[in-house]
Order: sequence, then structure tokens, then C-alpha cells
Amino acid sequence: MNKYERLQNRINEGFVILDGGFGSLLQKKGMKAGELSETWNITHPDVVKDIHKSYLAAGSDIIVSNSFGINALKYGEDSSCSLEEMITASFGLTKQAVLEFENEHPETAGRHFIGFDMGSLGRMLRPFGDLEFEDAVNIFKKSLAVAAKLDFDLIYIETMNDIYETKAAVIAAKESCDLPVFATTAYDERGKLLTGADPAVVVSVLEGLGVTCLGVNCSLGPDKMIGIVRDLVSYSSLPVIVKPNAGLPRVENGETVYDIGPKEFCGYMKEIAGLGARLLGGCCGTTPEYIAELRKTLSGITPLPVTEKDHTIVSSYSDAVIFSERPVIIGERINPTGKKAFKEALIKHDKDYILKEAIRQADAGADILDVNLGLPDIDEKEMLFEMVTEIQAVTNLPLQIDTADPSAMERALRIYNGKAMINSVNGKEEIMDAVFPLAAKYGGLIVALTIDEAGIPETAEGRLAIAEKIYSKAAEYGIKKKDIIIDPLAMAISADKNAAKETLKSVKLLREKGYLSSLGVSNVSFGLPNRDGINSAFFTMAMQNGLNAAIMNPLSFEMMKAYRSFNAVQGLDENFEKYIDFFANNAPVQTVAAAAPVQSVAATGDELTDSIVKGLKESAEKITKAMLDNGSDPLDLINNNLVPALDIVGRGFEEKTIFLPQLLMAAEATAASFEVIKKHIRQQGTESASKGRIILATVKGDIHDIGKNIVKVLLENYGYDVVDLGKDVSPDTIVKTAEKEGISLIGLSALMTTTVPYMEETIKLVHENVPGAKVVVGGAVLTQSYADMIHADKYAKDAMETVRFAEAFFGS
Amino acid sequence: MNSPLRYSVSSDVPVIDAAEVLHYLGYARSDIRESDIALVDAHTDDVRSVIKPAAVYNSFDIELSEGGRIKLPWGEIVSHDLSKNLSGCSSIYVFAATLGIEFDRLLARTRLTSMADAAIVQAIGSAFAESFVEMLNDKLKAEAASKGLKTKPRFSPGFGDFPLENQKGLFSVLDPAKHIGLTLKENCIMAPEKSVTAVIGIYE
Repeated sequence: MNKYERLQNRINEGFVILDGGFGSLLQKKGMKAGELSETWNITHPDVVKDIHKSYLAAGSDIIVSNSFGINALKYGEDSSCSLEEMITASFGLTKQAVLEFENEHPETAGRHFIGFDMGSLGRMLRPFGDLEFEDAVNIFKKSLAVAAKLDFDLIYIETMNDIYETKAAVIAAKESCDLPVFATTAYDERGKLLTGADPAVVVSVLEGLGVTCLGVNCSLGPDKMIGIVRDLVSYSSLPVIVKPNAGLPRVENGETVYDIGPKEFCGYMKEIAGLGARLLGGCCGTTPEYIAELRKTLSGITPLPVTEKDHTIVSSYSDAVIFSERPVIIGERINPTGKKAFKEALIKHDKDYILKEAIRQADAGADILDVNLGLPDIDEKEMLFEMVTEIQAVTNLPLQIDTADPSAMERALRIYNGKAMINSVNGKEEIMDAVFPLAAKYGGLIVALTIDEAGIPETAEGRLAIAEKIYSKAAEYGIKKKDIIIDPLAMAISADKNAAKETLKSVKLLREKGYLSSLGVSNVSFGLPNRDGINSAFFTMAMQNGLNAAIMNPLSFEMMKAYRSFNAVQGLDENFEKYIDFFANNAPVQTVAAAAPVQSVAATGDELTDSIVKGLKESAEKITKAMLDNGSDPLDLINNNLVPALDIVGRGFEEKTIFLPQLLMAAEATAASFEVIKKHIRQQGTESASKGRIILATVKGDIHDIGKNIVKVLLENYGYDVVDLGKDVSPDTIVKTAEKEGISLIGLSALMTTTVPYMEETIKLVHENVPGAKVVVGGAVLTQSYADMIHADKYAKDAMETVRFAEAFFGS
Repeated sequence: MNSPLRYSVSSDVPVIDAAEVLHYLGYARSDIRESDIALVDAHTDDVRSVIKPAAVYNSFDIELSEGGRIKLPWGEIVSHDLSKNLSGCSSIYVFAATLGIEFDRLLARTRLTSMADAAIVQAIGSAFAESFVEMLNDKLKAEAASKGLKTKPRFSPGFGDFPLENQKGLFSVLDPAKHIGLTLKENCIMAPEKSVTAVIGIYE
């Protein structure tokens, strides 16, 4: 019997009792402030072993090693104790405790399990922290490599307050050993992890990654965990673990005490057991007394069976989309196919363009965003990896990873924060064999197209047959029915007038069989004019036939009108809230008298100039358009209206009569006007006039880019081309870009004193390698004397000064 | 030793002053007009709805000696400015406070739609952080007063000659990553962005 079977048998038998708090017991034994509990494995081994034994005596079936805080960040190469020594010691004491206890109580022999306890690294992962996901995986793996050589029965990951780090830990465990993995997370009073995930998100991610048991521990008392446990058991098909604190801590006479005693604790635990939790124990503040009481309490109760749940869930780091009667909208716009501007943005590595596309769709009501970045000219795998992280920094919508390259798919699924949708597989053996292993390893809801080696069947029945072939093949990989959604393929009616009817029939058939369906709706109208008309009619009919999800453009008024109306008619829109909102937000545009900030500069009398000075984006746009339509020369507009307006605002800023938000609003109004002009120039086919090219970057180690972005907006407004290298940019990248692009003006920003040395290094490298290049520096920590010290060519105290320097540099 | 204690308030509790926000944005008080206040008010609720103010704190004994030397819970350091701040104190409160990671996400999102809005959101976040830390400060002051003790103004790593590297020690004694999700990067800068750590001297 292997360790999995032994554990599974034990769980099937009934409740499993875990152990309780450790730190508070060590403190009672004299552990001092600032001392690390795991060091007691070395300094006070008998104390640690006795605590383990006291839990066994209280009735714990599973005890975990005192190794919560041990990791390679803390016990690296330069620490006095090696990682190996620390982990081996923690194992030795648990093992010894079990051996001694079973020796003293032979009737319990072979009934105990030892878990390797692993906690958080205490660092935040990118994009908001500085730890790469893969680095986190590797740090966990260093511990696990040691643990795998010892005789642990399971890996116990606990007190995680970020689902992303939990994912890194579980992947590391799965890739390091064949042991069962338990994972429990810590929720706050709102029933969410500190980084936002709720129980549905946590269950979707952990089930997808293939843990053996999942649950909740620490942070709250059992009374506050009841709602969380209820959610966990309702979504989880796996046994649920619950390890609460002994209530809330407070200090009494210089000692930490918890406000829930053993009896009261177990009153709540009884309720929790009644909800369906299977593995129970305690966390901070609980002692062997609590566990003994718990054993007694549970002895009279029959546990509920662990049952298979059929919710289809995809999730982001914080939000879950649970498929139900309401069809789900999957935004299709992050895709270069047939979109010139999008292609250009991809080639130019213009990440903001793509991010804005994400935000627009989210605001328009998309539930999930499809991400397709396939273009022959770019490294799709790298770009997908980068953009999945970046998109997740600005939206909480789950993503649908859309690529035909399995290696790009794997990389994206691995670093995705949540449980993604996978677009796509089809009935071809080769494709299924490439993609199903990824879904089995990382989790995900798979979109499966009803096409195979023989092509697309003409009939609905033929498509259903392929769907069934896909389900049975997926089952071989352990992928459940709930994690597959069938796309029966919308085909152009212009090519076959009966195409749509057959697709609609397929949707109906799938629904009758209890399968989920999704469609790329807009294909249906290919080749016809006024496509939205056909699309929205087809969409409504498909929803009526039971469609669960549509890949479509949420920015299309007609499509969203069809969607909101369908939901309203079907009773899926409580109080018609979404319907009413939709029409309120899409009412015929009225001229909004925008809350114009009163500027302390006199009006010039020129309409365009004035609207820019006042920061009125929409009116600047409109006036520009009208002037161009009336035959104004685009370059004249720039020189006679835009630049003077910016000068007025810029001077006001320098003289402190205008402040940052107003300066930026004016810049945004200029940008809007500039966009109109650029579009006009493109249509006219004449050359656009760039006054010069400038590289901007926030230096290595620094991830604050607000200052740099302000400078960028202003420079672009003044007609300069900015190559924005982003934040945390290495000196090498800056120099290479300058060389490759032949750019000789470079702007560097730094916000923190710690990163100024990188600025100095960058300047030195630029001066050595790019003859004639000048570097202008700015940022919160810089001063003229600092700038002189690091040999910058220019210190700019604000964005305007950078513009002035660029003007002097390019001689305009 | 005591476990560090958590302090949190619901996000509608810290109150901010729009004029203070504008001050962060470089406005002189005398320049502030109604329309500027409206600009801040338009974003305040967005920020308020995403922040989760939470702190963790504990008290520790310290020893001060000649030459600016101070024995802190994470080791002995030399800082003349901190010594001056703590003169007459035999213990300190150490705290770490944050508005949470959703603020960082809001800022990243806002940056894409409007830099002007982003600058305002950034300043509103600073004002909320300041206001929350003031609340915590008042609480600790009251806690000390109940024992007949007084407190000094708070002092953060990076102020004067109190090295920023002390963040590492401070994080090791409070473990704010575990309690409130506040982490330290390798360069001693905190994530989430709107976070504050400090020591507060306690004296008789």
C-alpha cells in the first residue's frame, strides 16, 4: 500500500484529527522575542519532541514537523545552519515522537502520519512584489528536495494568504515528490485571502493543481470560519481541512491569551464537522487540551461523505466565474487577427495598448478575457508570459489563454494567477495528447472544438460524436467533464445558408446531454454587411438554445444589447439592474459640461487652445476634428494650437499657478487631439512629423514609474517619439536599445536612493558606448548635486524641464 | 514574548481631507479652489472601496547607550537621530501598517486610463495611509496612557540616520507578511505600496 492509499483509507474511515498550535507552546517554554521557533529543533530538541508527543497523546492522527519558517531564503548558503540540517532535524523529532508514542501505546501502531510543514516565504510575487513566480517555485523546491529524502507521509502547505504563492508551493511539491499534498490558506474577516481570493477561487485553483486535501487555517477563530467552511465544502470535491485559532489574541499581564477555550472551541468544531469538514485540528493558541477535547467531540459524530461537485469554475487571483444559467461573455479583442493597430502595438511591444483593450472590455461587461498574441513577427511564448502577468495586474477577470503553441500554453498556464480557460483542443489525437497533460497538471477549463482529422462534421450529431470522443479521451488524463466546454463551431452563413441552423441545433443537443457549450459568435456573419445585425440575432437564438459562453466583442452595442435583453427576459437580471445600467451608460451622447477645473490662466480666445488648457479631452477631440474637416493643416494645428496650449500650461506649472493634475489633464486633452491629427495624417498618407526620438526608462531595481509616465505623456504631446522601456530596466538593455535604434537622448528616472547606483552605472555605460548621447535624469530622490555626482548630462526637476531639454537638444 | 497584535479598521473609517491630498500634489493651501476639491472627491470613493487598512504591532524593551547606540529587538544599531527621538524611553512600540494590495492594482489600472487621475489616486492613497497611521498612533498612545506612560512621535526606518536596512529586523520581529500581507522587497521597499513602518518610544 503506498502512502496515497494509506492516507486515503484513513480519510475514508472517518474524521482525521490534526495537531494544534506550536509557537505559543514554545513561548510558554521560554522562547524569546525574535527567536525563530524552528531553531528550537536544534537548541531544545526535547521540548519540541515532547510537544509533538503531547499532540499524539491528545489524539492527533497527523502531526506536522516544526518547519513552518524553514526555507532557502532564511537558511541560504551564508546562514550558520544549513537548510538540510534544519529540515532533517524537524523530521527527526516528529519521527522520534511517533516511534516513542507508538511504542508506549502499541494499539496505535501504524496509525499516525507525519507531514512536512511548509509556510509562506513572506515575499510578494511579481508584478506587485519583486519575487519571480519561478524563483518562488525553486525556493520551495530546495526545501522539498530535502524533505523528499526523508520518510514524510505528506506535504502540508499552510497559512498561505496569497493564492499565487500557494500555487507556486503546490507546483513545487508536485514536481519534487510523489507524496500527497495538503494546502490550507488563511482568510480574513471578510472571508477572503489578503490578496483577494474567496473560497471558490481557492478551490478552483487547488483542485486544478491536484492537491489531495484543501482547507482553511489560522487568522480566525472557529466561530468566524463557519461561512468559509460552508463555501469550501459546497465547491470542493476533495476532503476539507479546518484548523482555526483559539479565537482572537489579546495581551493580559504581559502574556498573549486567546479568547476561546477548549469547550467553546469544540462547540464550533462540532458545527463545522456537521457541514462536511473531514480533517480537523487547531492553529495559533490551541494546545493538546483543545485537541483532546476535539477528539472526544468528534467521536460521537458520523462524518458526511466527500462528494463530487459539478461546478464549472474559472478564476483570477480574486474572483471566480461559476458557470450557471447566465451565459458568460468572453471578450475577444485581445487578438491581432485582422487588426492592424493591434499588430503594430504587438510588434512595437506597446503593452499599454493591450492593457487598455483589457480594461475597456472589463468595463463593458466581459466576464472573461481571451488572450491571443500569436503573430509570426514576435516571440509569442515570451509575449504571452509577459502579458498574462501584466493583464492580471490591471483586471480581476479570469483569462482564456488562446494559443496553438503547447509550450507557450504551458508557460502561460504555469504563471497564471488563478484557474484559466484553455483555448483550445479539438478531436485530433495529436492536439489532445499535447494539451490534456497541461490541463491535468495546472488545471483549467478547456475549450474543445468539434473538429477532428476528418474535418468539421456537417451535422449536429456528427459534432456531438466528436465532443463525446473528447470527453472520453480527457477522462483518461483524469480531466473531469466539468472542466471541458464544447465549441460546436459557428460557420459563415454566406458560404452555407444552413450553417447557423446546424450550429444552433448542436448547442441544443449539447445542452440536452448536460454538456457546456461556447461559440465564437461573430464567425456566422463573415462576408456579409452590417454584421452586428446577424451576429446579435444568432447570439440570442444560441442563448435560447442553451449556450453557456460566447467569445465576442463586448464593446459592440448590438451584441451587448442582445445579451442584456436576453438576461432580462429570462429572469437572469435581478431588478433589471444590468439592463437599466447598460442603457443608462449607452444613452445617446450628450455634450457633457465636464467638471472643468478653473485654471488661473487667461483664455486665449482660441477654442482648441482653450479647451486643452482647461483639460477638456472630449471637446479638444471634437474641435480638432472639426478644424481638420474644415481644411486646417494638421502641422499648423500642432504648431499654432497644441504647442502654444501646452506652453501656457507648462509655464503655469513652472510658475506654480497650475498643478500636476491640471498639467496632466491638459496633456491628456492634447493627446486626444493629437490622436485625431495622427489619424488624419495617416488617411492623407503624408509623413508624420516626429521632432526626435527619446528613450525613457525607470532604472533597474526601481518599479515606480509614475514620474516617468508623466514625462512620456508630455514629450509625446510635444511631438517626440518615445521608446518607453518601462520600469526596472537593466543598464545593458538601455544601451543596447540606444545602439540599435540610433537614439542619442535618454531619460532615466529613479524614485529610490537604493537604485541611484544603477543610474550611475547606466550613465557610464551610455557615455562609453553611445557617442554623443546625452542622459537626462529625474525622480523623487534626485537633486542637482546628486545628478552631478553620477555624471548625468542634465538634471530635470520636473516633466516640463525634460521637455525644455529635449527642445534644446533637438534644436526645435 | 507576546505574539504581535493585529489592528484593523473598516475602510470607511480613516477620514481624509481633500486639501491635504492637494497639498501632496503640490498645491499651496491658498491656491485651492472648489473645483480642485471636486477633483479629489471624484476619486476618493474609488480608493476607499479598495483599501483594507490593517496593522500589526508589539512592544519591546530597548536600551540606549553612549554614542547613539540603541539595542533594538533585532539587534544593536547606531543612530543619533533615533537616540534623540527615544531619549528617556525604556521600551518602544513597533508597528507595520498597510492599505493592502488592491490599492496597487487600482493605481496600475488608473494609470492606463488617465495619468491625471493616477496622480490624484496616488495622493489620495498617501492621505489614507497617513490618516490610518494616525489612528493607530492614537490607539497606542491611549494604550500607553492607561498604564501611566507617554509616547514619542513615531520614527520610521530611513528617517535621518536611522538606516532603511532596519526594515529587515523590524519585519523579522513582527512578521507582517503573515498577519497583514505586508512584505519587504530585497531593496527594503515595501509591497503593497501604501505601507508604513515605525517605532514609537514609550516613556514615563
